[in-house]
Amino acid sequence: MKEKTYKLSVFRFDPFVDTKHRFINYKVPGSKAKTVLDALLFIRDHIDGTLAFRASCTQGRCGSCAMHINGKYGLACETPLRAGKTTIRPLAQLPIIKDLMVDMERFWEKYESIKPYLVRHSGEARQSYTNRKEMDSMIDCILCGACFSACMMTGMNPDFHGPAAYVTLNRFLRDERDAIHDQRMELVTGENGVFRCHSMYNCNDACPKNVKPSENILEIKKNIV
Amino acid sequence: MKKYDLIIVGGGMAGLRAAIEAVKQNLHVAVISKVHPLRSHSVAASGGLNAVIPQKDIKKKNIDSIEKHFQDSMKCGYNASDPDALQTLVSRAPGKIKELERWGCLFSREKDNSIAVRTMGAASFPRTVYSSDKTGHAIMNTLYGQCIRLRQNKPDLLRFYDEWFVHKLLVYNNVVSGVIALEIATGKMEVFTAKAVIWASGGSGKVFGNTSNPLTNSGWGLAVPLYAGAPLRDMEFIQFHPTQLSRSHVLITEAARGEGAILLNRKGERFLESYSDSKDKKELSARDIVSRNIQREILAGRGVDASCVYLDLRGLGSRKIKKQLPGVRELCKTYANLDPIRQKIPVTPGQHYIIGGISTNEKTQTEIEGFFAAGECACAGVHGTNRMGGNSLMETLVFGEISAQSAGSYIRQKHHRLPNKLFFENAYAEEKNKLQILLKTNGEVKPAEIRAKMNNAMDEFAGIYRDGMGLVEAGQIIKELKTTYMTNMLVQGKDARANYGLIEAIELKGSLDIADIIIQCALKRKESIGVHFRNDFPITKGRPRYSLVKVKKGKIKIRHIAIHIRNKPLIALFSDLRLLKK
Repeated sequence: MKEKTYKLSVFRFDPFVDTKHRFINYKVPGSKAKTVLDALLFIRDHIDGTLAFRASCTQGRCGSCAMHINGKYGLACETPLRAGKTTIRPLAQLPIIKDLMVDMERFWEKYESIKPYLVRHSGEARQSYTNRKEMDSMIDCILCGACFSACMMTGMNPDFHGPAAYVTLNRFLRDERDAIHDQRMELVTGENGVFRCHSMYNCNDACPKNVKPSENILEIKKNIV
Repeated sequence: MKKYDLIIVGGGMAGLRAAIEAVKQNLHVAVISKVHPLRSHSVAASGGLNAVIPQKDIKKKNIDSIEKHFQDSMKCGYNASDPDALQTLVSRAPGKIKELERWGCLFSREKDNSIAVRTMGAASFPRTVYSSDKTGHAIMNTLYGQCIRLRQNKPDLLRFYDEWFVHKLLVYNNVVSGVIALEIATGKMEVFTAKAVIWASGGSGKVFGNTSNPLTNSGWGLAVPLYAGAPLRDMEFIQFHPTQLSRSHVLITEAARGEGAILLNRKGERFLESYSDSKDKKELSARDIVSRNIQREILAGRGVDASCVYLDLRGLGSRKIKKQLPGVRELCKTYANLDPIRQKIPVTPGQHYIIGGISTNEKTQTEIEGFFAAGECACAGVHGTNRMGGNSLMETLVFGEISAQSAGSYIRQKHHRLPNKLFFENAYAEEKNKLQILLKTNGEVKPAEIRAKMNNAMDEFAGIYRDGMGLVEAGQIIKELKTTYMTNMLVQGKDARANYGLIEAIELKGSLDIADIIIQCALKRKESIGVHFRNDFPITKGRPRYSLVKVKKGKIKIRHIAIHIRNKPLIALFSDLRLLKK
């Protein structure tokens, strides 16, 4: 019996050499790959060593391998290969370094700008059981950047913080121990702030960890109003 | 050339904790990491970290204490832990939890608002602090947040170099003087000078194939300091975690067993009860015992198929699984297409943690002046010959902090004169040349093929059960692979820019050297103790000794040295520590 093979069409672009991107087709033997990441690693290991993409933990925890797979954002390491052609593109809205590797600087900069750390009231007040429980739904974000790429606003407005940053912001706004609630609110009420979000829910669809950024953004908006 | 007081290599838990302390010490510091810090494998740590936290019912007779944490760890490591290092760990642990609390870390809590604790293997009390089963993620976000805060407040003190690959550690007359690193995106190489360097590169599990380690843990992190003259310690001690998801090598945390999951063979028997060393604590026996007995069960033909047994969480109930082990459920759904609430999980032991590493003392000092190491890449002898679950996360925090304190006092104490410019220029030229040679290779064998052969040899001959003949054969295979690497390898892409294929080829040299060292150390230790089990020498011999590896003129030299055991009784060891009260 002939071994099953998977077909992949992978976005290739080297800004130093190419004027235009292209899609290259690869075939990966079914016995060597179960996930999209397995296939990409197989290509780099055995077909073309110059294919650039990030990957680390291979188990959906580190957020390195977010990309656009068959019309949907996701982590390559979590996406099973399927029959038919798999088309792979890099994250959108961010400059391409090479192939599937994008420059995440703007994403990190926005994340850092919302002050992703606790500033405490004086004293050693500890978090209550109920307050901690409320946060269960918002701490699974692994900052992979999928929502940032899927968001219409981050594309149109370079100053918009983006969904991932707002999830983290909401986590700190909800934290009963936090002392800079007002300062945080001021950061995002401006014209490039949270009201730029038009609730298109692209971020919810893109999130591989089911974090639901839209809901968090809605909550921040309500909080302001 | 970039100039710093201190360079920290690695942005995982140990590296970030060191960075925070270094800024506190007012040092001009750079953190160089091959991936963004929040992509480090510390984020994947699940189970939790061990610390004796304030006891609720101090009137009760039998309560947990720092001494008991010490004794459990010592016993788990077969009395081969360095007492000074272990004492440092257990006595500083409670403070680290307090500190993380202060920084806002989202630990799981009990209904009375206190921090929740669970029991891990080989522990006599529940003392593992956690955040559901995503503890590493919670702590890493907290630490990185603190780093951002420091950077926003003191921008000139702390600088991150993300996705820079450290190529060489610079040492002159046995004094550290910096590193040479490669920016992955641009392919540009740069010299970083420093008065001190802290090494926090993490694990090296990818020398094995059957491992839960990430792609980044190639072994290069141990090879670079070794090439610069830092001895490695205890490299034969490789921990195999009992429960990896079958086939996909995804780790199912020990916390699952801590919460009550049981292990079953094909017949549905709780087989750990039938082995003398695991009949008392069963699933919560030390990791080496559980892994060995699973392997025995499989070898006896009672495994589920040829390679696994079942981990059964069904008894925990849906509520407990959703609350305490949501990550385990996610992983099972994604990678095994099953729901642990209703189905048993096929699991198999796999490489998990390298107990050995760069030899340090309890102050994280190494044999090279100004060079410190912390975290999984270091070995102060804390874990003896078998690590207790939950001690390694704590190790990264405790020794991460200490490393920056040690580096701080070293930098302040001494008048530092960097070697002259020529030294750096020559080193730079040499490294650049090595890179060019790799880019010009035009052989027939791809690095991935060499890596696959190495992985197979390590899995087969240097795993849970080892013997002399197998190890000799593995050594022979590695030797041949090294020759292939040097003479007949092919690196694709003739440009260093964003060339991960090139980075992997560089790292492969380190992998091969570290694999060789693991094999030679395992061969030299003709006894069985802790995680090191020799079929041909199944007995433990006399007093515990640690092994020390140096490379001299391309030859591996291994010595065994008796572990110094203090004659003072344990109680005296702790006379300076008051029992923690609420």
